[in-house]
Amino acid sequence: MAGNKGRGRAAYTFNIEAVGFSRGEKLPDVVLKPPPLFPDTDYKPVPLKTGEGEDYVLALKQELRETVKRMPYFVETPEEKQDIERYSKRYVKVYKEEWIPDWRRLPRELMPRKKCKKAGPKSKKAKDTGKGTSLTNTADVLKKIEELEKRGDGEKSDEENEEKEGSKEKSKEGDDDEDDNAAEQEEYDEEEQEEENDYINSYFEDGDDFGADSDDNMDEATY
Amino acid sequence: MTQAEIKLCSLLLQEHFGEIVEKIGVHLIRTGSQPLRVIAHDTGTSLDQVKKALCVLIQHNLVIYQVHKRGVVEYEAQCSRVLRMLRYPRYIYTAKTLYSDTGELIVEELLLNGKMAMSAVVKKVADRLTETMEDGKTMDYAEVSNTFVRLADTHFVQRCPLVPATENSDPGPPPPAPTLVINEKDMYLVPKLSLIGKGKRRRSSDEDATGEPKAKRPKHTTDNKEPIPDDGIYWQANLDRFHQHFRDQGIVSAVANRMDQTSSEIVRTMLRMSEITTSSSAPFTQPLSSNEIFRSLPVGYNISKQVLDQYLTLLADDPLEFVGKSGDSGGGMYVINLHKALGSLATATLESVVQERFGSRCARIFRLVLQKKHLEQKQVEDFAMIPAKEAKDMLYKMLSENFISLQEIPKTPDHAPSRTFYLYTVNILSAARMLLHRCYKSVANLIERRQFETKENKRLLEKSQRVEAIIASMQATGAEEAQLQEIEEMITAPERQQLETLKRNVNKLDACEIQVDETIFLLESYIESTMKRQ
Repeated sequence: MAGNKGRGRAAYTFNIEAVGFSRGEKLPDVVLKPPPLFPDTDYKPVPLKTGEGEDYVLALKQELRETVKRMPYFVETPEEKQDIERYSKRYVKVYKEEWIPDWRRLPRELMPRKKCKKAGPKSKKAKDTGKGTSLTNTADVLKKIEELEKRGDGEKSDEENEEKEGSKEKSKEGDDDEDDNAAEQEEYDEEEQEEENDYINSYFEDGDDFGADSDDNMDEATY
Repeated sequence: MTQAEIKLCSLLLQEHFGEIVEKIGVHLIRTGSQPLRVIAHDTGTSLDQVKKALCVLIQHNLVIYQVHKRGVVEYEAQCSRVLRMLRYPRYIYTAKTLYSDTGELIVEELLLNGKMAMSAVVKKVADRLTETMEDGKTMDYAEVSNTFVRLADTHFVQRCPLVPATENSDPGPPPPAPTLVINEKDMYLVPKLSLIGKGKRRRSSDEDATGEPKAKRPKHTTDNKEPIPDDGIYWQANLDRFHQHFRDQGIVSAVANRMDQTSSEIVRTMLRMSEITTSSSAPFTQPLSSNEIFRSLPVGYNISKQVLDQYLTLLADDPLEFVGKSGDSGGGMYVINLHKALGSLATATLESVVQERFGSRCARIFRLVLQKKHLEQKQVEDFAMIPAKEAKDMLYKMLSENFISLQEIPKTPDHAPSRTFYLYTVNILSAARMLLHRCYKSVANLIERRQFETKENKRLLEKSQRVEAIIASMQATGAEEAQLQEIEEMITAPERQQLETLKRNVNKLDACEIQVDETIFLLESYIESTMKRQ
């Protein structure tokens, strides 16, 4: 190739006319940089379709996006403690329903520790109420107060929403609430026991001496 | 899995299930099937979180598991199923158009929860409908379950694979994971339930604060009858059936555009007749005689048998071959060539993309090459009647963007360029793949842009939400007009303007996502149908 150059012949090993350049025509410059991130477009995009159907789907999409955030399937990252507790934060969590998967459909290995985690903070709560004040430390008291506050708020907004409801019904609702709580506590206790069993069963299977898992164990200890 | 698809999956998972699930899901998509412990180790996530994420993913049918030798359970992500999450609004809307609000809510609940038992769906939907109704009115369970049965009859919802019933006296340790079996016969069989009752109006905050008290619900049912009647029978939305519906709609509207309303109505009738009899992946519908079609035309559609026959002949003669004639018995047997129809729709999409990206003259060249199959450069210039220099420019531009491909045919075995034919051609399948890939990329970009816009204005959005909440609560307590005005003014004029711009932008981006997905659907269906035939 190098030899060819000196004789004034084309620097290509093929006849460039075959690709459509006539003799002596200037070849395009070599491109050495990547194409621009936002290149100019020669043609403007056509406007989007609009109409009743499209608007409805759009509304559905936006609504769905908000809804999924409130579903129990939306697993939030455990956030690091903030210096200032934000007032608005309180309301975000409250809306979540609880979700108990159908364990018959899932591999067994997914079960035990998962339950332990889910029941963790709540079983603590159950214990607190069960054993009375013997275990309370300041943190627990604070937590309790917070919860009570939340509940109070909830009821208040209830009132605002439905003014028509008489006070009689309200008191009835209060009873309901208590019933629920009792039921919940019962369930937690069951869960707790079960969880303990599971834990023992699966202890060795879990292989906690797994090298990289040592951090996780520490996490677990906080529950 | 291409990078663009993985990126899109990641964004979708993150929006639907949060960051932890996204991390696990994307890891599974990248690596293929993996056992639990390896996932936890490779992603550096705690075992509890991995388990929770996997539960969520399995619940939503996005991950399947399989037991391997020595009892190791491996989890595998269903990437194409993850991408379907983009289409959820469209599925819901379709259910609304077909089965009104009740159908809409049933499908929405099924999509939101992945899978649900019928009784749970019916209860939830009845409650939700009751909440939107006026005071004193309630929604009957029976009505909702009727709609559910109709959805199942038309195959829009189907049963999930079942866990086979095991005897409790099973000796030995239970298997590490249940094996799910599909019972083809019962796929759309609705269990006999006597759901009696009405939707309850729930006090919103009370219910939400405690979460649906789980302990309460089972207890209720155990009071009435022993176990939950349809315990263990889960239902999911049958996305393939929805896709079939989208495809049919596409074909009908294409026929309407090409010929007229009446012919599209005939095609719609034919498609409806073969909805259940033809599997969604079949290349043709079952042959239908013109007599049958005539009988099945919607009432009030007054066309005579002669006119119908003329229309059918016309449709069968159309070069696009949407409708084909398969025999002469029964007044003529007709089929709809689904594969051809999808091909035509995909080609039309490609053509219009070329037209909008490169202009009408490029589109002319593109159509020319499409029509003549193989053309040399000189021929392109001549046939398209475009000056050689410009034609070359356009051809190369489309070549470099992979809409057109180049076929070399050497005259001699040395592949010397001077003794080689260079033929330009359009490979529709690969062009469709390329375009599909670009669509994935655009949707990912759109989502990212939307998230950026929202993040930029986060403070403003929060403020406006707060102000709205305050106004609403003040209105409820009967505040004066002046007070309300004062609070409204907490958002200044420029802020208001900014909010409006944001809203407009987000709406536009969202609408784009939905409409790009329509193109994605078309291209995917075409590619799928072509791959099946090869």
